[in-house]
Amino acid sequence: MATLKAREARAGFLFVAPAYVLYLIFLAIPLVASFGLSVFEVDRIRMDFEYVGLENFDWIFTDPRFWTTFRNTFYFISMSVIGNVGLGLVLAFALNRVLPTPILYVLRLSYFLPVLVSLAFVSFIWKFLFSTDLGAINYYLRQVGIGNVGWLTDSSVAMFSVIIIDVWKNVGFFIIIFLAALQGIPRSLMEAASIDGASSWVVATRIKIPYIAPVILFCATYATIGGLQVFDSIRILTNGGPGDATRSVVMYMVSEAFSAGQLGTASAAALTLLVVISIVVAIQMIIARWFLGER
Amino acid sequence: MRSVTLPPDTPVARRLLSAMQVVHWRNTAVLIVLLVGAVLMLLPFFWMFATSMRPAGEAYQLPPSFLPDDIRLDSYHELFASPVPFLRMYWNSFVVAAVTTIGVIITSAMAAFAFSRTRFPGKNLLFASMLLGLMVPPALLLIPLFFGMASVGIVDSIWALILPAMTNPLAVFMMRQFMRSQPREYEESAFVDGASYWTIFWRISLPQMGPPIAALSIIVFTSSWNNFLLPLVFVRSFEAMTLPVGILSLESSFGGAALSIIMAAVTVAVLPLFVVFLIAQRFIIESIASTGVKK
Repeated sequence: MATLKAREARAGFLFVAPAYVLYLIFLAIPLVASFGLSVFEVDRIRMDFEYVGLENFDWIFTDPRFWTTFRNTFYFISMSVIGNVGLGLVLAFALNRVLPTPILYVLRLSYFLPVLVSLAFVSFIWKFLFSTDLGAINYYLRQVGIGNVGWLTDSSVAMFSVIIIDVWKNVGFFIIIFLAALQGIPRSLMEAASIDGASSWVVATRIKIPYIAPVILFCATYATIGGLQVFDSIRILTNGGPGDATRSVVMYMVSEAFSAGQLGTASAAALTLLVVISIVVAIQMIIARWFLGER
Repeated sequence: MRSVTLPPDTPVARRLLSAMQVVHWRNTAVLIVLLVGAVLMLLPFFWMFATSMRPAGEAYQLPPSFLPDDIRLDSYHELFASPVPFLRMYWNSFVVAAVTTIGVIITSAMAAFAFSRTRFPGKNLLFASMLLGLMVPPALLLIPLFFGMASVGIVDSIWALILPAMTNPLAVFMMRQFMRSQPREYEESAFVDGASYWTIFWRISLPQMGPPIAALSIIVFTSSWNNFLLPLVFVRSFEAMTLPVGILSLESSFGGAALSIIMAAVTVAVLPLFVVFLIAQRFIIESIASTGVKK
């Protein structure tokens, strides 16, 4: 029997090998290397590594631009979570009713279509829609007398424009998830409430939202983790400008590494991002335990 | 003889009846809002298509059009005749997405087979370590990956885009979850009949994996087609460039003057995604809905 067992083990290793070797080479080892790089000062020409301890972290934590990018990223996250999750919930509630099939098909198609198309492609479209003098949006704003808005050129508006695109693109994803959660609420719960004469507002706030709270929490975490990595749309729309008004943490990292050639500080920035993501996940798990643990 | 089918004239029944009418009226109002929202969601795509049909000189003319004034393919001709090899990029995008998808499907199905059908020492440790990879944002690995791949000379080739994307812990996880839910009697009886592990995998396990393979194909293909960060950092030359970065260089080489050409490029680039979505709408939406509910 030992041979059979050995044969099974060998087969197991062989079958897992392709995926695991790829995983080691393209994920695990680079991750460890990232940790390593963050404590070195790297000379890219001579490939010379000098151990500098935590100096790289010291450098980014005292770099005001790093904090600017963090502030920008968190502004983006808070608004995009509110926009995506809030609007997604409202639209899911609106869609959660008996509708004729063809209308449902059209609605689902139009709200979901942007989800499938990459942020990079749609950013090209929005870049021109947002154009100050020649853009479609400002044309209609002028028509109704509001006048031009510097969607991508005004440093106080630019990040908001990035958020509009993000919500437009992703809200469909959250609608689908919330809709599925709403439809999973037991019918008996709804019937009991309507027999007791509960208004639809009470049903929504006292039954439906608490019932799908875990899903809402999941979506908020998901949107936060995605938001921490925001890059594509900003790179195409404003390239971080005007000034540094829309520069995100990932942009800071990429430009440190591939423009400034500062591999050490870029890795330190990347690790800081990983730590922040882990904290977000941990907080989400703690909230889930505390508030939802009973169920 | 009293008829039992007479509707009971009680306060509850009357209230139910009036509630139904209110709901009906509200349905119409909500429906109108939803339809207006749906049109707004689609407008950027209509504008993209209509603008791509305008001659270059009139691209910026206001008011913007959302339906093509007439069918003019000038900008498409110019796009394919431009010094930026658009067709080459299109082909690259396709090859990268197709090879990545096939690679992910095969390696993750094999790994799932090993994790769910065989026993070998360290199995749980290997699986847990791969799950850890789910948490790592791709941007974090850019620097070590870039220099690692540069040292073996595959940077600036399509392999720099394929190999890192073939590492997909999520796919392994999804495949394993599905395979675990399948009965293992077929595999066991084939084993008793003396079939090799490879035969069992190839003839019995893999053919059962239709649903996760379909879902993963769509996810992996579209995310590869849409990927922007990896090609932006890993590829410099037109020979290996894919569409999102290709359109960015198209934009910088033509400048804003070629709006209709850029919109033609985006139109052609998003076309496969639209086709995939129209074919598999129900399937895509159901798989997303289930991820949210199951968490």
